[in-house]
Amino acid sequence: MKFGSFLLKRLLLSIFVIFGLSIVIFIIARVVPGDPARMALGPRAPEEVVQRLRQEMYLNKPLSEQYFYWIRGVLSGDFGRSLVTKRAVSEDIKEYLPATVELAIFAGILMVFFGILLGTLAARYKDTWVDNLIRILSYFGVAIPAFVAAIIFMLLFGYYWPILPVLGRLSSGISYPTRITGLLTLDSLIQRNFVAFWDAFKHLILPSVALSLAHIFQDARINRSAMVDNMRKDFLSAERGYGIPERVIMFKYLLKPSLIPTVSMMGMEFANIFANAFLVEMIFNWPGLSRYGINAMMSKDLVVISTVFVVFGAIFMVMNIIVDITLAFLDPRVRFSTSRGI
Amino acid sequence: MKASNFVRFLRNGLFLVLVVSLVLILSCAGYTQQEVKVIRQTNTWPCYIDPAVGGDFTASVVYPNLYDSLVFPNPDGSVKPCLAKSWTVSGDGLAYTFELVPGVKFHNGDELTADDVVFSLERIMTIGEGYGYLFKGSVEEAKALEKYKVQFTLKKTFGPFLGALIRLYILNKSQVMENIQKKGPYGEFGDYGKGWLVSNDAGSGPYKVKEMKTMEYLLMEKFNDYWAGWENKDAPQYVKQIGTIEAVTVRTLMSRGELEITDQRQTSENFAALDQLPNVELVSFTNGEVLNMMLNNKKPPTDDIHFRKALAYSIDYQQIIDKVFPGSKPVSGPVAFDTPGCNLNLKLYKLDLVKAEEELKQSPYYGKLDQYPIDIIWPGGTKDREKVALMVQANVAKLGIKVNVVKMTWPAICDIVSKLETTPHAVLISIPPQYAEAGSMLMARYHSSSCGTFFQGEWLQNPEIDAMIEDAISTVDQKERFQKYNVIQEKIAELCPSIWINESAIKQAYRSDYVVFPAAEAIKQGKLHNPNTGYNFYFRDFKVNPEKAQPPYTPFKP
Repeated sequence: MKFGSFLLKRLLLSIFVIFGLSIVIFIIARVVPGDPARMALGPRAPEEVVQRLRQEMYLNKPLSEQYFYWIRGVLSGDFGRSLVTKRAVSEDIKEYLPATVELAIFAGILMVFFGILLGTLAARYKDTWVDNLIRILSYFGVAIPAFVAAIIFMLLFGYYWPILPVLGRLSSGISYPTRITGLLTLDSLIQRNFVAFWDAFKHLILPSVALSLAHIFQDARINRSAMVDNMRKDFLSAERGYGIPERVIMFKYLLKPSLIPTVSMMGMEFANIFANAFLVEMIFNWPGLSRYGINAMMSKDLVVISTVFVVFGAIFMVMNIIVDITLAFLDPRVRFSTSRGI
Repeated sequence: MKASNFVRFLRNGLFLVLVVSLVLILSCAGYTQQEVKVIRQTNTWPCYIDPAVGGDFTASVVYPNLYDSLVFPNPDGSVKPCLAKSWTVSGDGLAYTFELVPGVKFHNGDELTADDVVFSLERIMTIGEGYGYLFKGSVEEAKALEKYKVQFTLKKTFGPFLGALIRLYILNKSQVMENIQKKGPYGEFGDYGKGWLVSNDAGSGPYKVKEMKTMEYLLMEKFNDYWAGWENKDAPQYVKQIGTIEAVTVRTLMSRGELEITDQRQTSENFAALDQLPNVELVSFTNGEVLNMMLNNKKPPTDDIHFRKALAYSIDYQQIIDKVFPGSKPVSGPVAFDTPGCNLNLKLYKLDLVKAEEELKQSPYYGKLDQYPIDIIWPGGTKDREKVALMVQANVAKLGIKVNVVKMTWPAICDIVSKLETTPHAVLISIPPQYAEAGSMLMARYHSSSCGTFFQGEWLQNPEIDAMIEDAISTVDQKERFQKYNVIQEKIAELCPSIWINESAIKQAYRSDYVVFPAAEAIKQGKLHNPNTGYNFYFRDFKVNPEKAQPPYTPFKP
């Protein structure tokens, strides 16, 4: 029950945070120089046409009134119309968000699996060549930005050894599965369209690996460090004394408490994947929300900027909550202190 | 460490990696050569396929393929019949009457009639975006006189009207009306079908929309019942416009044989790399675009004609062409040489520091140059223009003129040039003609109506020039009109309101082993290519023979 009220409090606070974020972004987008109506219509559009668009967008009204109209639309499900795509922002979000979610989920899975695996291996074989190799790779991995990794992978697996696709979400000739979730791999699995599933999966490999690379190695380092710290603890000696196999000690008794800092980091990194995906999406022509947001910023597409930032803000909030729940699961002290209302 | 456990782990892991790689390779291999004729081209995005909305390069490439106009442009700037088989012009030049080709079918099978022409004109004028400005200021109304006869009445004579008509693309009225959304800013017409036309077409052109993924690509397929037929049996069956211009992506696609033509936005370095790929050729052609250094004629010190001329004499134009824009052409003046109506006999400015010094000495700012530094603005994303600005900075420093080179984003540039007070001394912008005639460039660049837009950073506001341009454009006889254009260009060259750096060349890389690119062939043979934006990509004239493709080539699966 106490945990339930903690969760409710977090959700309510998140709403306030998103509300505040929306105001800040709304104002910033509008004070940056440039007339969005004129930019959208071009310099040769007659002034009355530009004025009509300005009226539609309430650009002639005070900022507070503009915000009121936007929030009123958002609460009724109308996010406005994009000046770039020329269609409803809600339609765009429906199309592009699942693409980024799918990419982020795959990148997240890679991040979690390989981050924990490599960190555990490095801790298990501490001070051996395995540990040294993983640590060296980690330095490189963390230093390389996602877009550089994307270009390297495209060169390696798209050019020199062309075994993977480099463009979009599906190859030409493969029909898109009927939309259920918007995640092509999931939708095609549900519809038992294994050809589309396999093609969509192949398209995901390069961009998701590029996006997750730095995070994998970052998490490996954190996980290794936490495991090495915990290796010195007395409870491990006790477990060894009881004759518990080393493998069980590593992956059950040592890994769980060592995951606490890693999981905290992973939560933020997962949210970062969403925000930083735009360069990778541009390189692979991935029709995702990050790229959509960046294009909107370049074109001063005001309603899209506000909406995309609010969506990303909401994703950050949700990830924060999931991290808190996961930490509570991993660490009984968190559960105990939460239930006491501390 | 237990070596055997780890070695076992490694062995298992390596085995897994090998199996996955094998599966990937096998799943990618085994494509049988299929003879699907396709043109895959990268291009800037977004791509607007509604002919009343877009006016940029990508849209201009797509429109002539999805839609037809009443007339079709020739390479020499004249027009030939298209949907209109003939036309007459009234004596006063205000009424144009067109006889339409009967039996033309839209992509959905409906027949094209005069009502569709009237509807298309009213739609583009009401919406006012894209190419709407060509008609909004000049056309009073259009009327369907008979089923296949339509008359346009102009507000005033407009000499280039027939040339401008290439941008009036004819839509299927009933199909658009079936798909309007009632809620919209156009009264009874709702949204005028704009929502539906984001990803559908209502045209009669040689290609129709098969698939439109708004942030990825546009796939067009051949319209087999095209009214003008398919004499060219090797025309592509599919055309795919891919929405990316990322250098590494374009190069990878071309090297894998997944691309037939690149976009024109690649850097010189990337074009040089593409040129090295097997069976890839570069083609370079001008499209009437001139790179201008727009000088603010109302702001000290560029408000002084001698100062402006001193700048013009101090620029090494040939070095800029050789080092920064190889393949581009020296300027002919405010209008590019291949734009019909260009004055090829203008006396222009060349690098001459002695003359520059002489001009500067006549300027009231001479001796006080340190008090009047000038800003040269270049748009972010155009690295080549930064190089131009830096070269100018280095050269004019010899005269004692201080230059600040400033990078700005495009939205910021559009914002600052909208007001006289904020327009900088100089800004480097490339402007193409809106239709293939000198008047288009003169109107866009030097008529007062374009002040406050990125077309004109000069704020020339010269009533004499305005009157001359208006008079020339309203002259119906082409020969007379072109003579007037020549006089205007001479006058503008004397005033030196801008510095014309070079005539931009569009470069594209393409697969020459199995693609016949008509514009490239024309350039090779020294013939004219079509100067109208987009018309060099009229895919009905292309020839694609995939059976002749050399490796690497990835067949297209529709």
